[in-house]
Amino acid sequence: MPPKNRHPTSASVQSSTPKSTPSATTTTSSKPLNANTAQDIVQNVWDKYVQRTPQRVKLLDSFMAFLVAVGALQFVYCVIVGNYPFNAFLSGFSATVGQFVLTASLRIQTNPENKAEFETISNERAFADFIFGSLLLHFFCVNFIN
Amino acid sequence: MRWLFSFLVLALLGAVQALSSSGSRLLVVLEELAEKDKYSEFWDDLRGRGYTLSFESPKNDKLSIFKHGERAYDHLILFPPKTKGLGPALTPKLLLEFLKKDGNVLLTLSADHPTPSAIVSLLLELDIHLPSDRNTLVVDHFNYDTVSAGEKHDVLLVPAPKALRADVKNYFEVDGTIAVPRAVGQGLGNATPHLAPILRAGSSAYSYNPKDEAEIVEDPFAVGEQLSLVSAMQARNSARFTVVGSTEMLQNEWFDAKVGAVGGKEQTTTANRAFAAKVSEWTFKETGVLKVGRLQHYLNEGKKNVNESAVGVPEHNPGIYRIKTDVSFTIELSEYTSTHLSPFTPPATDDVQLEFSMLSPFHRLSLTPLAQTANSTIFGTSFVLPDQHGIFNFRVNYKRPFLTSVDEKRQVTVRHFAHDEWPRSWNISAAWVWVGGIWVTVAGWVAFVALWLYSEGVEKGVKKTQ
Repeated sequence: MPPKNRHPTSASVQSSTPKSTPSATTTTSSKPLNANTAQDIVQNVWDKYVQRTPQRVKLLDSFMAFLVAVGALQFVYCVIVGNYPFNAFLSGFSATVGQFVLTASLRIQTNPENKAEFETISNERAFADFIFGSLLLHFFCVNFIN
Repeated sequence: MRWLFSFLVLALLGAVQALSSSGSRLLVVLEELAEKDKYSEFWDDLRGRGYTLSFESPKNDKLSIFKHGERAYDHLILFPPKTKGLGPALTPKLLLEFLKKDGNVLLTLSADHPTPSAIVSLLLELDIHLPSDRNTLVVDHFNYDTVSAGEKHDVLLVPAPKALRADVKNYFEVDGTIAVPRAVGQGLGNATPHLAPILRAGSSAYSYNPKDEAEIVEDPFAVGEQLSLVSAMQARNSARFTVVGSTEMLQNEWFDAKVGAVGGKEQTTTANRAFAAKVSEWTFKETGVLKVGRLQHYLNEGKKNVNESAVGVPEHNPGIYRIKTDVSFTIELSEYTSTHLSPFTPPATDDVQLEFSMLSPFHRLSLTPLAQTANSTIFGTSFVLPDQHGIFNFRVNYKRPFLTSVDEKRQVTVRHFAHDEWPRSWNISAAWVWVGGIWVTVAGWVAFVALWLYSEGVEKGVKKTQ
């Protein structure tokens, strides 16, 4: 039987349909991979990301993006205006950086794709570690900024 | 307590009636004791001021200015010997020891006999130079006494000395002119600040050897006001050594001689007696003596308005301060004049200064007179400690010509901020951005945790229902 061919394209290979995920895919499920320009590449990456990643991981990623934004803002402010109370700058910046690292480790440990490597660590355990680490970080930052 | 102690001491002083601030035992060294009578008015003046005089000859074997390692006398008057030196008990080394032990010396020189080399070397130790030709005397062809030295011009008539500098008080002010017969002029070296001339020769005076037959004097030792007729040297421990160039000016006949100036109409009486009194008063520490009373420094952090002048501050002279705090310093200074302590007022253009120094002064501030007590002036100032921690000294270093030196040091530790003395982050306006950054992060984190738990529950719930 001829392979399913939803869109008559030229010589592109069809990839398998994406796995079913809780989030609905908005694209029409075919991957035109005529990635000629950089913009197309980026668009493809983005589309794949939106399709493939679970909702919870996307929540993590959005939090990390938020932290990057806050950290970048603080850093740009420091570059422009100066780092007068240096301990304050370090404290504020390292709050975002540390929180980013903790969130990244939570993402690694709870990503379903990594399930094989983290069989001994349940998601709840990972999340508990994340909470504990975050509280420590917040305590340190508040203490260091005086 | 310091108050009580100083009052006790003052009361005792009053009872004893000694006028010198440093003792009343005076030794006069005269080679020929028969000459003693020529100076009887001088001795009477000294005795009247409370000194006990002893007369010794330098040839005396038993003479010793030290006894058991301490000074046997408080003051010395040395008259010029006719022989080689002042004897084994008064070598230059021993006299310098006497000075180091706070004894005062009045040395007189005479042009009648060549000055012995021992005395020349002693004076050289103090940077006072005598002419190398031992037979010189000071001559002035325009300011001599026409009555007694009309031809030789070797009796100088010198006006009473004025203040050495504008900012130095004059302790030798007398009414009239001073007759200086047959003086040995001295030249003062420049090396130390301890030397000061009390009486200078006039600008037309010069030093020459009367036996020299030449018409003009070539290369004189010194001329004019470089010649010091009465010189004063005050050592670092405030011991005083005065050199009077002419012994004869202390004699009775010159105390009230009638002298006539060149071109003057009438004869005047010399002021030698008064001048000798002033010189001996200064040399034997009756005048020009400063005393330090209470010294206190304290933290002035504005709790209450402290009346620093009269009342002692309860917590004063702490051993440790913190950087960048307000500190006040007061010191009491009195001047001792002959019988009593009186408040010290520095001359108008002069200042008593406080140095706050570690290795070099961080602050050098003028002390203003805040108040006066019956005996003293209280000087004080306030300042902010520098932004440097370490060991500092409060130092009042007041050394002026003709005044005893005041050098009071108090050492304090200045510590840095303690861990809880730093300003809080919300009090530093530049830190608000970072404070905000932290709390924005925390708020985002709380929101994330809420969403995570919520979505976890929903997922589970979804799974369960399915």
